[in-house]
Amino acid sequence: MRVEQLYKKNTHSWMVMGRDAERRDEVIDTNHYLIQNNGRGLLLDPGGVENFSVVAAEFSKHFELANVEAIFASHQDPDVISSLPLWIQANPDLIVYMPKIWVSFITHFGVKMENIRPIPDEGGIITLGGHDLEVVPAHYLHSSGNLSVYDPQSKIFFSGDVGAALLPDDHTDLFVTDFDSHTQYMEYFHRRWMPSNTAKARWIAEVRKRDVEMLCPQHGAIFKGEDVARFLSWFENLDLGSAWSSVR
Amino acid sequence: MSGNLYTRKMGEEYNTIFRQCVSLNTELHKLVPLAKQMHLLSSNAVSSAARAGSEGDAFRVLTQDIQLLGDEVSECIGDTQKVIGDIVRLASNLAKLFASYMIYQDLQERLEGEETVTTVTFFEGGHHNVVEELRANNHKLSRSLAVLENLLSPIATVVKKGEYLAVCSSVEAASAGQHGVSFEAVSSMLRKLVGQLGLQSARQRSLLRDLSDAMEKQQHNQGKLLYAR
Repeated sequence: MRVEQLYKKNTHSWMVMGRDAERRDEVIDTNHYLIQNNGRGLLLDPGGVENFSVVAAEFSKHFELANVEAIFASHQDPDVISSLPLWIQANPDLIVYMPKIWVSFITHFGVKMENIRPIPDEGGIITLGGHDLEVVPAHYLHSSGNLSVYDPQSKIFFSGDVGAALLPDDHTDLFVTDFDSHTQYMEYFHRRWMPSNTAKARWIAEVRKRDVEMLCPQHGAIFKGEDVARFLSWFENLDLGSAWSSVR
Repeated sequence: MSGNLYTRKMGEEYNTIFRQCVSLNTELHKLVPLAKQMHLLSSNAVSSAARAGSEGDAFRVLTQDIQLLGDEVSECIGDTQKVIGDIVRLASNLAKLFASYMIYQDLQERLEGEETVTTVTFFEGGHHNVVEELRANNHKLSRSLAVLENLLSPIATVVKKGEYLAVCSSVEAASAGQHGVSFEAVSSMLRKLVGQLGLQSARQRSLLRDLSDAMEKQQHNQGKLLYAR
């Protein structure tokens, strides 16, 4: 598992963890992000039951996890949030931000309503240690209730499954190094898992309104600098919901 | 026995308990149609007694007893259905909690010898909460099994009562001659139903005994693994 700091200024920082070499072959590789502000922590898509102990052990080396006050779930998938009961067992006061439409589904993991802060379809603000993070709608990308997070200070945009890549095991870079070559690992994922070109256009417009230096997906490599705009253009021209024509 | 062996053994035991609870649930559900058939039999008994006319006074008394027996069977079966639902849910929770216990154990092993910013007590709290939930679920499951045992024990008496009633019905039907032909069918159906009830309750008692044994074994190992730490 690789852990890297993406941003640090004063008491505000972003950390990423990914490329778990220990994971079973059939388990998709996931990225997990930890935002810290004034000693308080927010975990973004902390992952599944399968890799809870790896994620918890790695982040423990860098941050006092007792100070993680909240978890953000971009959507309801097991690789995103099935570890939630374990985090709550460790900290019963933990707050969990999630898309409102998934509340009655995620509670099937055994989570109680007192821990849950539903985020409406239009998004909103999450305040962490006095710092505001923007929650941007990403519905139908891929889940019907899906959210992204933008941090205006670090200019980091957490995009969930948008920008995800299914990388081969020997690909250990945390960042995209050759965009053109990288598209081969993204294309099928986006065309197969994401159904709506309309939703895509709305999301791209939202991202372009913001000053983004890093676009951080939940799977695969991170886009930095000019690769952010490159990705948006590539994504704009991709026909979503079109990767199943051969089985029609 | 080392911690790991206990852990493996306990994992197997939780799975065994869950499987046994599911089997018991399946067996207990087989009682539901029996209760319905008992009610149907009561109605048949009423019409048979009516058909016997003035010769059917004894049948009417027997019919009342058959109806009471049917009510007793229904009540007993209804109560067991409620309890077995809880038992399966608790057994499933136990298996799930034990998986969490294993994950926390894996985390602790990963953290051993590592320099961490997170204080050790943070995840120990989670581990402790899992152990407490395991213990609470275990107690609840043991209690529910005892309740189920109490609910199932009167079935043996009900079966005896039913057999006795079937014999009485046969005797009365034979002595009523032509008037008793219809009631003889009721008596033979009653004999068949209580026979089935007897067989099924014996199977359920045996499953419950196995389950209680498995619980006892599991609690013994749980004591060694969870509380010796």
